[in-house]
Amino acid sequence: MTPGEVGPAVVELRHIKKNFGAVQALRGVDLQLRHNEVLGLVGDNAAGKSTLMKVLSGAYVPDGGDILIEGEKVEFSSPMDARRQGIEMVYQDFALANNLDVAGNVFLGREAVGARIGPLAVMDNRYMEQEAQGLLNRLKIDISSVRLKVERLSGGQRQAVAIARATAFNAKVIIMDEPTAALSVAAIGKVLDLVRQLKAQGSSIIIISHRLEDIYQVSDRMIVLRHGLKVSDTPVQGDIHEFRERVVAYIVGARNDFGERAVG
Amino acid sequence: MTQTKRAQMSFLQAAMKLVRGNIREYGMYVALLAIMAVFAVTTDGVFISSRNIVTLVNQTGYIAVLAVGMTLVIVIRHIDLSVGYLSGFLGAVAAISMVSWHVPVYATIPLVLVIGTLAGLLSGFLVAKMEIPAFVATLAGWLGYRGALQLVTRATGTIIIPDDTFNAIGNGFIPDIPGIKILPGLHHLTLILGFLGIVIFVVSEIIARRKLQSYDSNVLPTGMFLAKLVLVTVLVGGITWILAGYQGLSWTAAVVLVVILVYQFITTKTVLGRHIYAVGGNPEAAELSGISVKRLTYVVFGSMGMLAALSGILFASRLRSATTTAGQLFELDAIAAAFVGGVSAAGGVGKVVGSLIGAFVMTSLSSGMNLMGMDISYQYIVRASVLAAAVIFDVATRNRG
Repeated sequence: MTPGEVGPAVVELRHIKKNFGAVQALRGVDLQLRHNEVLGLVGDNAAGKSTLMKVLSGAYVPDGGDILIEGEKVEFSSPMDARRQGIEMVYQDFALANNLDVAGNVFLGREAVGARIGPLAVMDNRYMEQEAQGLLNRLKIDISSVRLKVERLSGGQRQAVAIARATAFNAKVIIMDEPTAALSVAAIGKVLDLVRQLKAQGSSIIIISHRLEDIYQVSDRMIVLRHGLKVSDTPVQGDIHEFRERVVAYIVGARNDFGERAVG
Repeated sequence: MTQTKRAQMSFLQAAMKLVRGNIREYGMYVALLAIMAVFAVTTDGVFISSRNIVTLVNQTGYIAVLAVGMTLVIVIRHIDLSVGYLSGFLGAVAAISMVSWHVPVYATIPLVLVIGTLAGLLSGFLVAKMEIPAFVATLAGWLGYRGALQLVTRATGTIIIPDDTFNAIGNGFIPDIPGIKILPGLHHLTLILGFLGIVIFVVSEIIARRKLQSYDSNVLPTGMFLAKLVLVTVLVGGITWILAGYQGLSWTAAVVLVVILVYQFITTKTVLGRHIYAVGGNPEAAELSGISVKRLTYVVFGSMGMLAALSGILFASRLRSATTTAGQLFELDAIAAAFVGGVSAAGGVGKVVGSLIGAFVMTSLSSGMNLMGMDISYQYIVRASVLAAAVIFDVATRNRG
């Protein structure tokens, strides 16, 4: 069931459950992400994709199940906990401060400190700008200066900054929630290129998307969720039309590789 | 195209680009210079006399320090209406401390600053912890401190402050270095400070430019850079010369300068300042980045309270007394100064130096119109127009940029 097995799992989710009142958003989901793998996560609205990723990124505490990072069991009580373990989330609305420049956003909350005067930490702006510029160059992101304010950037450039920011601190896993949802066609191509670039440089990535062609283009493997359960876990291969038909069948419930289990 | 022509073109283009890109930033400096020039003419030069400039600075001081604190409050998307009467109340506390409790002035000032900080933290608690909208929380403070001011001055009415050291803060001048014979009639320490200020500014600008050039070609063209240095030098030099020709730098001016330098440093160079602007720009993003919005709300309101105390001290010292109506409408003057100085009501945008300029614009208007003998009713209408124009200008330039 899991071809393409090339290395140990960098992240493993075991039987994750999450309820919101009477609603069972996740009913026992397993997920494995291997080193240097791009995993697509798809499903209809309310299938549980975002909830699952919020559990992994520390925004939600699960009601049941385990999270393992490189084989070690961990518990997250906040996004900062997850970030310290190398789990970085790129939010759908970019989560950038538009009034700050590119370098400021890349280092937001993790500013480089040059000196301390009593309780005040003085920033090392030069270091941060150089590092941010190096990061943009490495990822081939086309922004003329790291001192441009984010409000002056296009949607695609903002998404690129948000992704660059997630990769700036040696993340083990980068989660992208609908990275292409708000973008123009040209910008979508650039973001997908960026995902390939990250994979080429060794990153492990989970990508949530409604756009099946995006998943098809960049993912190695794909998991389909339906009503809080995993219904498919297959490598991405074959012709795009066949792929699309197969995925849609899983999404709407016409196919299910795992059967109804773990109810409640 | 020849080399020189191309150079001229690039200089002009750079100048146009600079004006377009920074009109929001430099607009208020232009406005202040224009206002000063107009009043200089309409009052036959009285407005720019040493004596009037010193008075202007001392009148601006207690609003300027409030405007600095208010800038940060508005940057993090809040407002503080309580600081006017808090300032008046704390001025009265300072007076009572010295007159009734016989606490020496050197202990009174820190005491009042601490009480102010605590009062600010109380507002911060209501806003950050209880999640009461700042407008409502600080409106309660406005009522409360107004009551407190009336309560402490009820028995005595206006409290006269007999302490010369305390009163010097609002009326006195920094002492001169004794024994210098050259340039008689001028205040030498003021000249030296002004000169040092210019040298430090020019040197630090050149160093910063060099540093930037080493890894980013996107710097101000040389011509524009020189123009900026010359402009600032002339401005600071001119003010220094005017002040030195009278009695030198007033204590109020010295206090305001220190406050501006400290806050300018904190907002532009430190992690704390970066986080304050991040919270103003996108509180959710800041929180997700591990920045505690609550903690920063406490810090910003605490600083606002401390500056309200400083404002109260400056005002009581200037009047040599604590009055029953001290601080009335200071909060609105401070808010107006901040908006005229380029602070955005949407949050995340605004500089402390801008608010200082905004405070000068507003007091210059009052001062100049008073000197012209203009009816007070028209004065309010003129100030209203300037405030509205500043905000319209801000919105218009933002939408275009």
